[in-house]
Amino acid sequence: MKFVPTPLSPAELELQRDVRRFIAEELPADHQPGLGMGSGFDPAFSKKLAARGWVGMAVPKEFGGHARTAVDRFIVTEELLAVGAPLGAHFVADRQTAPAIVKFGSDWQREFFIPKIVAGECWFSLGMSEPDSGSDLSSVRSAARQVEGGWLLNGTKIWTSGAHRTHYFAVLCRTSPAEDKHQGLSQLIVDLRSDGVEIRPIPFLNGAHGFNEVHMSDVFVPDEMMLGEEGSGWRQVTSELAYERSGPDRFLSTFGLVKYLIAERAADGLTVEQQRAVGQLAARYWTIRQMSLSIARAIDDGGAPAVEASLVKDIGTRFEQRVIDVVRDVVEVQLRADSSSTFERLLAEAVLTGPSFTLRGGTTEVLRSIVAKGLRNV
Amino acid sequence: MSENVQEIRSALRPILADHSSPDEVVAAESAGWNSTLWSVLCEGGFATISVPEQYDGSGGSIADACAVLHELGRSASSVPFAEHALLAGWLLAIGKRSLPDGVLTVIDDPTELQVARTGDAFTVTGTARHVPWASVSAAILAILDIDDQSTAVLLPTEELQLDEQVNLAQEQRRTVVLHNVVVPAKNTWPVPADTAEQLRLRGALSRAALMAGALERATELTVRYTAEREQFGRPIGRFQAVERHVVRLAEAAQQAVMAVAVAGINAHEEIDFFDAASAKIVVGECASTGTAAAHQAHGAIGMTKEYELGQLSRRLWSWRDEYGDEREWARKLGARVSDAGAEALWPRIATG
Ligand SMILES: Cc1cc2nc3c(=O)[nH]c(=O)nc-3n(C[C@H](O)[C@H](O)[C@H](O)COP(=O)(O)OP(=O)(O)OC[C@H]3O[C@@H](n4cnc5c(N)ncnc54)[C@H](O)[C@@H]3O)c2cc1C
Repeated sequence: MKFVPTPLSPAELELQRDVRRFIAEELPADHQPGLGMGSGFDPAFSKKLAARGWVGMAVPKEFGGHARTAVDRFIVTEELLAVGAPLGAHFVADRQTAPAIVKFGSDWQREFFIPKIVAGECWFSLGMSEPDSGSDLSSVRSAARQVEGGWLLNGTKIWTSGAHRTHYFAVLCRTSPAEDKHQGLSQLIVDLRSDGVEIRPIPFLNGAHGFNEVHMSDVFVPDEMMLGEEGSGWRQVTSELAYERSGPDRFLSTFGLVKYLIAERAADGLTVEQQRAVGQLAARYWTIRQMSLSIARAIDDGGAPAVEASLVKDIGTRFEQRVIDVVRDVVEVQLRADSSSTFERLLAEAVLTGPSFTLRGGTTEVLRSIVAKGLRNV
Repeated sequence: MSENVQEIRSALRPILADHSSPDEVVAAESAGWNSTLWSVLCEGGFATISVPEQYDGSGGSIADACAVLHELGRSASSVPFAEHALLAGWLLAIGKRSLPDGVLTVIDDPTELQVARTGDAFTVTGTARHVPWASVSAAILAILDIDDQSTAVLLPTEELQLDEQVNLAQEQRRTVVLHNVVVPAKNTWPVPADTAEQLRLRGALSRAALMAGALERATELTVRYTAEREQFGRPIGRFQAVERHVVRLAEAAQQAVMAVAVAGINAHEEIDFFDAASAKIVVGECASTGTAAAHQAHGAIGMTKEYELGQLSRRLWSWRDEYGDEREWARKLGARVSDAGAEALWPRIATG
């Protein structure tokens, strides 16, 4: 396991300044900052970002992308997350689906999807979890059987974030029986408006509609929507993890709490406990960001730092939760869901949604098993 | 990691394996320091890394000094490298002075010292606590205010009264009592006003670097031990509950190493307050979680004085407090960060 510290180059610092200028100009004055990935769904904002070339950044030019680096994408993403910008619409397509299509997809898929994703107009959800398959993903029961010109897909996906608003989702399903349950799985790209797809909302703890249950009965999926080779779904899903797990979205969800604690309380002077909390958290943000950034750099250098990514996600997501406790420990407020103070609104939101940080994208327990295995195999 | 840092590390590894093995560490504890190792480090030119060559040092950057400290921390070595080179050597270089013979140390907290002018000389009176390696040092440096001018003072050690005190790892941390100690004017020199703060930041970074090394080594020991030790018919490392301790320790070590590496790379002539304070805070916290996890995974064997883990953890618990503990630095950093305002917080975190 290795993390190499990596300063930003002059060009990268220039990009950082560009993003800050963009935020100052484009984020509406009445923008209500949100918490990380869950900060809002704003197609117009996604398109503006795309117009700057900041969606699908790391996709090679030949496929319609901007041929920027994982570090460039990191810089854009962290700046936007730090101000709680509404990234919800394009986030999954940008983080996960675009790189997966570039890596595993067919020429047709690249030509069809990538330009739309890069334009900020084509949004994805992830169809992995099922009612009986959470951490043990390879046990999924959704299954597709081959028919003339494609596949007939049946099954139920659950916790599918954003499916009521996105265009497609990548469905992990069984496409052939196999002794080894990691074999015979594939990812099918499914149009969420297809016949046979039924999307039912599952209200989230804070009352928001984010989650869905997606039923698929005899959904026809054309052959060209098979991602990569039939049967390579497990390898694809696990190799996406390095992208999915270690980015700034895994440690910045509650940054707003610290920022608005200072913004709203510093005028009266922070108490010693509040100062200590701010100092302790600032130091940790600085360190974890460097670890997360070093993974983006390693990916650009051709590495596949999957164990490191799991370690950073575990550190980052537990930290985003700890921020809630540390901050709550130094203020005395009775939380309400409708406070006019941004700080109190974010704290309430964080209390309600915080437990999900260490569940989504792989639980703490699962990540630790991956890291422990990596440590043993040194 | 620069080539230099790599070279320093690989050159030091075998030397420390020879002279700071767990047995040597036990032996050194009764003396309060490892004098044999120090001689070897002096002969090899390691003892003055980061002190400019023109002042009789070996040259090198702060990051290079951190690499030395990392290796010393890994091997639980009790030697005065931080005080001698990174602190005293630097203070002397500010005064364009070469390194004198013998070990040098510094006074971290001079608030209980008074200085008076007597003709061409000065007399210093008062008490300084927790002065590392004072009994084996040839001179002690302190930064004192003389007529509102920040001044470095080189104190001779012959006339000092030293109380035999040690930290939790039996390393010399003497209380030094001065009764009208006379310092000739040539042994004082003016320094910039922020030198006392810079000294403390350097001290804090030195302890963070030692701790990062110790945490890295504790992780290796724990991974190895939990793979070898069997209970209930299998290696204990195969139990998820034990895996959890190992992973928490590895996470603590990796964060510590990263924090020190970034602070070291960013440090040039000056050490940045945010960087060094952050490193000391994060590494100090990691020392707490890391030692707890390492001991839990080791069971009783970790609680013996001779076993390597305990040698590391006793140092981690001591170094955690030296040159300001993580709570003190967190308070100071938090005060600065909040004074700078909410909008400045993210840009500072995303710097360097
Ligand atoms: C906000 C949010 C958004 C999500 N969005 C999506 C989405 O868009 N698409 C999607 O497919 N999924 C999504 N998920 C689901 C997420 O991927 C799962 O919650 C996660 O994989 C865990 O599965 P589970 O909830 O079924 O828990 P389970 O797997 O049932 O786990 C319950 C508990 O048991 C522990 N556990 C399970 N197995 C082991 C083991 N082998 N060793 C030790 N402990 C174990 C877990 O760590 C956990 O603590 C989302 C989840 C959340 C909270």
